[in-house]
Amino acid sequence: MAPDWQPDFEKLVDQHQSMVFSLALRMTADRGLAEEIAQDVFMELDRSLAKIESPAHACFWLRKAAMHRSADALRRRKVRGIDLWVEMEDVHGIQSEDRATPISARLEQLLATLPEPQRAALVLRYQEDLTPEEIASTLQAPLATVKSHLQRGLKLLRSKAHSQLKDYVRGE
Amino acid sequence: MNPVDDERMDEFERELNEAFARRPAPPSLKRRLIERRAAEARRQSKSEHAWLVSKQLAWQQLAAALLLAALVTGGVEWRIALERRREEAARQQVLTALRITSHALDRMNARLTARRHQPQD
Repeated sequence: MAPDWQPDFEKLVDQHQSMVFSLALRMTADRGLAEEIAQDVFMELDRSLAKIESPAHACFWLRKAAMHRSADALRRRKVRGIDLWVEMEDVHGIQSEDRATPISARLEQLLATLPEPQRAALVLRYQEDLTPEEIASTLQAPLATVKSHLQRGLKLLRSKAHSQLKDYVRGE
Repeated sequence: MNPVDDERMDEFERELNEAFARRPAPPSLKRRLIERRAAEARRQSKSEHAWLVSKQLAWQQLAAALLLAALVTGGVEWRIALERRREEAARQQVLTALRITSHALDRMNARLTARRHQPQD
């Protein structure tokens, strides 16, 4: 860590807004809610700026806050992932340019149907390329639990993809 | 870490990596954040100002209360001192009256004594 590193709020927003927004979007499957969560996370960062020690710490802090706030939002809404996707399509009308490819969009839809802990582990693994240890640290969960969520989530997602996306997924 | 037991799983995981790439944040996110931050700073400054004003007011009230207490205490003390001065003056007057009476009685007594010792015609 650079000893004289000073956190710059706007710079941190520029660097990490995509990460925070994507985490919230994949966890909640609601674009409006994800933007709200991203705003709340950055506002919380602004209040805690004095505690941030390094760029890596800022990134870790933002991931953790985004995941916790998303989980809180999901708990408040108590809506299953698939319903969120339907609601999102109806209310927010996701534009097609948001989705890179049809297969990405379908995989995201399938991800939204997974239980929240498995979804969280998979998002951190495949969006953020974190190791199970890093995921456990971010989610403040035991490593064995995280590994179990990853394995089960991946298995479930694979079986859903196999049954629903066999025309798209490579190697399926 | 994953149950990657064959090439097909690797392929699926690569597919997930591509599918779960970060999405760009809405262009308005940063602008809204800056606006919200400015609004919060204004609100905080306003509440700090209100706190300072209320603190100043509290000090003013305390100073006024202390001044009032000092005035009342001073008034009471002044009143007690005045009463004491009056009492002292009254005591002095009584003592003076007693001294005059005593002096008159002494003179009277001296005259009576002198008359008693005069030779009888």
